[in-house]
Amino acid sequence: MSDETAHDILLSARGLVRDFGPFRAVDGVDLDVRSGTIHSVIGPNGAGKTTLFRLLTGILRPTAGSLEFAGEQLAGRPTHVVARRGIVQAFQTTSIFPRLTAHESVCAALVSKHRRSRDLITWFHRGLAGEASQVLETVGLSDVADEQARALSHGDQRALEVALALAMSPRLLLLDEPTAGMSPFESHKMVQLVQRLAKEEQLTVILSEHDMDTVFGISDRVSVMHQGRVLADGPAPEVRRNADVMAIYLGSEA
Amino acid sequence: MSTYGHLDTDAHDVDPPGPDTRSARPAPASRTVLLRRATAPVALTAVMFLLAFTLGSTTLVTMQEVLAFAVFATATNLLLGQAGLVSFGQAVFFGIGSYTVALGWLHWQLPFWATFVLAPFVGALVAIPIGLVALRARKLYFALSTLAFSELAYQLAESRYNFTKGANGVFGPFVPTALTQPRTGYLFLLAVTVVSLLLLWKVNHSPFGLVLRAIRENRERVQALGVNVYLHQVAAFVISGAFCALAGAMFVIYSQSGYPELLDWTTSGWPVFMAVIGGMGTFLGPALGALIYQFGHDQLVLYFSDWQLVLGAVLLVIVMFWPDGLMGALARLGGVIRRWWKGRR
Repeated sequence: MSDETAHDILLSARGLVRDFGPFRAVDGVDLDVRSGTIHSVIGPNGAGKTTLFRLLTGILRPTAGSLEFAGEQLAGRPTHVVARRGIVQAFQTTSIFPRLTAHESVCAALVSKHRRSRDLITWFHRGLAGEASQVLETVGLSDVADEQARALSHGDQRALEVALALAMSPRLLLLDEPTAGMSPFESHKMVQLVQRLAKEEQLTVILSEHDMDTVFGISDRVSVMHQGRVLADGPAPEVRRNADVMAIYLGSEA
Repeated sequence: MSTYGHLDTDAHDVDPPGPDTRSARPAPASRTVLLRRATAPVALTAVMFLLAFTLGSTTLVTMQEVLAFAVFATATNLLLGQAGLVSFGQAVFFGIGSYTVALGWLHWQLPFWATFVLAPFVGALVAIPIGLVALRARKLYFALSTLAFSELAYQLAESRYNFTKGANGVFGPFVPTALTQPRTGYLFLLAVTVVSLLLLWKVNHSPFGLVLRAIRENRERVQALGVNVYLHQVAAFVISGAFCALAGAMFVIYSQSGYPELLDWTTSGWPVFMAVIGGMGTFLGPALGALIYQFGHDQLVLYFSDWQLVLGAVLLVIVMFWPDGLMGALARLGGVIRRWWKGRR
């Protein structure tokens, strides 16, 4: 567990609000994410976690509020701009390229990172083979690199999701329920991967997760959401001791 | 096809003529692999060249038409097969290519060669605003808006009599005499076709082509990877438009005229049919489709008064049983034969 004062704040959200018609999905969320930490966002279904993630990545525009990332205001900027600044998400519902191979998929992401997607005439993408293989190795997909993404197992598809995000060399990686639907073995591998990334690559990670053992096992800080608001926020052990949180969260889940 | 904008063919793994989509990985013995992969296209070009000296005049003239349509269909397939965009408006550019040659001669006495070279640029120029507007819509709505542009272009060409000669179209001796000879005309068009297909093949096999396929598979995901999807689709639309216009200019050597039907949405349907018949997931499929469509059409009209009915049935059968078209079926057959041959040895 990190000493929080030692880390700079990488992402700072203030008063984020998002309405869907009359329904307020995210209701004035403040969030500070420190550089190099694993920050979990937990809460029951419908608490607004996924909407919050979509606001952070620019897929949704906030109705109100500000979003500062590494000193730059990002609220309302389109997804591709946010991604280039370094906020990249691995999606919850596997969102891959079904008929591209794992290797091609990562190459496509790398082409984007190197800003060569408008290149019509060179073989630049072929030179990315080594870099792509390295990314696939990091997430443990070397063996299935030449399989079409749709032919991969659920766990491998989720790992490919993470690989696509990693290919962008993100500064902040968002993982929306990375272990959802996984076998215990697969989710154990995923947790190890996330920990390794945070430690070795100095990556800042925001993750949402249902499994409480996972959350408190790997998080530096935890924010608890309920009905669009942040109820509690702090170092993981502190949040765990918070009786209110446990009542709301475990009460509705367990 | 499961949805209108996104065509679910399994054909992606059959891409026989050039290095296929897996080519992102460098092959260990890349030079020999490259040589082997180049064999088929080079042999095909040689055969097509020799046909000029063996086929009769009538067939050669039909082949001129086939070549123009091969470029038209391959250019359309950049949208259809690679980008996953179903456009029913590519005839706008095909027609503009023809009219560039015909009207250049009619109004400004421009030489054929100048207008022929100009045609793809005019096509690209027109494709920019149309692409910017049409690509604001998705899937079915994109297809419908391209169809509307096709109809608009047709109505414009037909109604502006003073400029376009209306429904009659522009006829005249604007094609150089040399090219009106079936053989020289064919050879010239063959050369243009080979160069065009090489360029389009390179676009498919560029970083841009890879990203385009990724967009076809999942546009939101590509957006989240930092790519401006809209602009990339517009770029693909403009490139396709340029080559469609070139195909239109090629067609003039066969038709020696430019007329409003070339802009019509039914003309827009042809390259789509050709691509479906030949195989959208393959590079040479649409060209093969052009060959089959033209000769098949010539045979069909001899025996059936309502030949479109037969065409419809054929398309239905292909879509249902060979989603990757004839080229895909051939590639599979080739694979079966190769395995059988290896087993025997």
